[in-house]
Amino acid sequence: MTLWEIKNKQSAMIDSLDATLVPAIGQRLNEMGFASGQLIQCLRRSPLKGPLVLQLGDCVYSLEQSIATRINITAA
Amino acid sequence: MKNIILVGKPNSGKSLLFNQLTGMRQKVANFPGVTVELKSGKFDQYQLVDFPGTYSLQSLSRDEELAIAKLHEAMHSDDTSLIVCNLDATRLERSLVFGLQVRDLAFQHNKGLIFALNMIDEVSRFGHHIDTEQLAQDLGCKVHALSAKTLLGLHEFRLALLDAAQHPQDFIPLKTEEASQPVLEISRKLSQQYGIKADVVLKRQNKIDDFLLNNVFGGLIFLVIMFLLFQSIFTWASPLMDGVEAIVGQLAALSSSVLPPGVVNDFVTDALFGGVGSFLVFVPQIMVLTLVIGLLEDTGYLARAALICHKPLSFFGLSGRSFIPYLSGHACAIPAIFAARTIESPRKRLITMMTIPLMSCSARLPVYALLIAVLVPETQYLGGLLNLQGITFFILYFIGILTALLVSTLLNKLTDMNTDQAEMPFILELPTYRLPHWKPLIHRVLTSAKQFIKRAAPVIFMVSVVIWFLGYFPQNGDLQSSYLAMLGHWIDPIFTPLGLDWRYGVAILVSFLAREVFVGALGTLFGIEGADENIAGLAANIQSDGLALGAGIGLMLFYVVALQCVATVATIKGETGSKKIAWGLFVGYGLLAYFLAFLAATFI
Ligand SMILES: Nc1nc2c(ncn2[C@@H]2O[C@H](COP(=O)(O)OP(=O)(O)OP(=O)(O)O)[C@@H](O)[C@H]2O)c(=O)[nH]1
Ligand SMILES: [Mg+2]
Repeated sequence: MTLWEIKNKQSAMIDSLDATLVPAIGQRLNEMGFASGQLIQCLRRSPLKGPLVLQLGDCVYSLEQSIATRINITAA
Repeated sequence: MKNIILVGKPNSGKSLLFNQLTGMRQKVANFPGVTVELKSGKFDQYQLVDFPGTYSLQSLSRDEELAIAKLHEAMHSDDTSLIVCNLDATRLERSLVFGLQVRDLAFQHNKGLIFALNMIDEVSRFGHHIDTEQLAQDLGCKVHALSAKTLLGLHEFRLALLDAAQHPQDFIPLKTEEASQPVLEISRKLSQQYGIKADVVLKRQNKIDDFLLNNVFGGLIFLVIMFLLFQSIFTWASPLMDGVEAIVGQLAALSSSVLPPGVVNDFVTDALFGGVGSFLVFVPQIMVLTLVIGLLEDTGYLARAALICHKPLSFFGLSGRSFIPYLSGHACAIPAIFAARTIESPRKRLITMMTIPLMSCSARLPVYALLIAVLVPETQYLGGLLNLQGITFFILYFIGILTALLVSTLLNKLTDMNTDQAEMPFILELPTYRLPHWKPLIHRVLTSAKQFIKRAAPVIFMVSVVIWFLGYFPQNGDLQSSYLAMLGHWIDPIFTPLGLDWRYGVAILVSFLAREVFVGALGTLFGIEGADENIAGLAANIQSDGLALGAGIGLMLFYVVALQCVATVATIKGETGSKKIAWGLFVGYGLLAYFLAFLAATFI
C-alpha cells in the first residue's frame, strides 16, 4: 500500500520509493529519512485531501498527496 | 580576508549563531527556509558566511540549490579556512545526515571542520545530557555544545573557533571506521546513542498541534488569527497614533505662534508639519504590524499556517509555501519576493512573486488609514472589540489578497502548457513551538519604524517642499491660482473620470516615488488652502473639503492594486531575470487599478 492510504495514528514501515519519482526527488526524500526500513507514524490527516502530517525519526513533516502516493509502505 | 562558512540543517539556529558571533542582525525566525541568500559578516579577522539551510547535498528549491553550489565552490576555494557545521541538538538524526555529508566533503578537500551542537539549552531542559567528547570521537571532528539563545558555551565556542581558524589543517576530519556505511544509517545510530528520544522532544509540539491543526477548529483558528492580525494594526495602534498626532499638532501650533506671520510661518506649518508630520502619525501602525508578524514567525505557527493553506492555495495554482511570502509581503514586498525562493516548484514560485505586489504593504497603510478616517464613521460593535474602521481595513487587505488569487489562477491557466515538466512536491518540516525571543523582536520593531522614516521621510520632505513652493506662489497662498494649479489642469483629464480633482491627481502622481508621499503631498496642499491656522488634522480637512464616496472608494482600490514602487519592480526583475515580466506587471497592475477606480467612481 502507499503512504497516502495510511490511517490516522497508524504506524508503518517504509518499503520503497516509487520508480516513477524523478531521481533527484527520490534521493532527496531518501536523505530526509524516507528510506526503506524507516518507521513512520501518521500524526494527522487533513480534511479535503490536504497534506499528511507524519513523524519520521525526530522530525515532523507535512507531505502532499502527489508525493505520498509514491511512497510504498507496509502497515506495522 | 579568509572565510569561515556556516552550514547546517534548516531551522537549526545558524543565523542566530551568526548574529551572536558577528553582532549583525540577520533575520531569525522559527520555520525552515528563513535565510535564502549567503550573508557575510566580520568575525575577528575572518569573514563569517551564513548559508541557507539544507537537509542534504541534494537540492529541492532555489535557496538550497544556491547553498549547495556555493558549498562546493567554498570547498575548492583557498579562501575558505574553516567550515562550521551547525547541528540542532534536539534533532540530531536529521542534522547529522547533512553533517556527515559535509564531513566527508571536507575530508575529500582537506578542509578543517568543526561541529556546533546548538540548542543545548532545550536539551538540558528535557533533563538530557549529550556526551560531546564521545560524539566528537565517533565523528572524527571537534564538537562544541552551545546555545545561541541563552549564550551558554558561546564564549568557549568563540575561542575554539578562533583557534581552529588559525590552524585549520589540524581540524581536517579523521577517517573513522564506519565511514563506509551510508550516512543515513550512521546518523540513526549516533542519534540513538547520543540524542534525546524523539517522543520526548515532540510530545508538547504534537499536543499543541492537536489543537491548532484540529480538523474542525484548525481552519477557524487560522481565520481568527489572520483577522486579529489585521484588526490589531488598527485598534492597538490607534492610541499611539492619536498621541503622535497630538504632539505634531502641538508643535505646529507652537511654531506658528512663535514665528512671525508670513511666508516662513506658512512654509513651516504647511510643508513641514502638514507634509512630513501627517505621515509620522502612521509609524505606530508599522510597528504593530512588524510586532504581530514577528510573533507569528517566532512561535512556529507560520509553518502550520502554510500546511493549512496548502490545499486551498493549490486550487489557485500556488503552494502552501506561498503563504509565508504572502504574509511578509504585508510588511514589504521586497523581502517577500526573496522569501519566495523556498517554494519548490519554479512555476509556483514565479506566480507567487508576480502576485506579491498585490499584498498591501506597510507603505499603503498611511494611505488606507487616511482615506478610512475620511470615509468611514467610527462605529463600534461588541463593546469596542470590533470597529467599523478596523473592518474596512480588513476588507482592503482582503481585496488585495483576493485579486492576487484571481491573478494567480489566470497566470496558472496561461502557463499550463508545460505541465509535463516534473513539479517539485510540497514537503515541509513543522518546527517546535517556541516562545518569542523578545530582545531581537523588540529591536526589529524599532528598526521597522526607523527604516520607514528613513526611507520615506526625505522623499516626503522634498516633495512637500517642491509642492509647497509651486502651490504657494505666485499669489502667496492662493492654491487655485498657483503654478501648481496651472500644471494640475494639464493632468485633470486623466483624473476627472475617477471623480478626483487635480490636487488628488498631483498626490497620486508623486506617490509613484513612494506610496506614503500621497499623504504628505495632500497634507501640504490642504495646508496651503486652509489659510487660517487649521491644525484639525488632514482627515478632517479633506472631509470639510468634500470627497465623494465613490471617488474615495475608487482611490482606495487604486492603492490596493497599483504597483507604485520602483524597488519592487527592480527586485522582480532581479529574481525572475526578466525585464518584461517586471515592467509588464507595473503597467498591468496600473491599468487594472485605474479601471477599478473608474468603476467605483462611476457606479457608487
Ligand atoms: N532554544 C533555543 N532556540 C534557538 C537557539 N538557536 C536558535 N534558536 C531558535 O531557532 C529558530 C531558528 O533559528 P535560525 O537562526 O533562524 O535558524 P537557521 O538555521 O538560520 O534557519 P534557516 O535560515 O531557515 O536555515 C529561531 O526561532 C531561534 O530563535 C538556541 O540555542 N536555543
Ligand atoms: Mg538562517
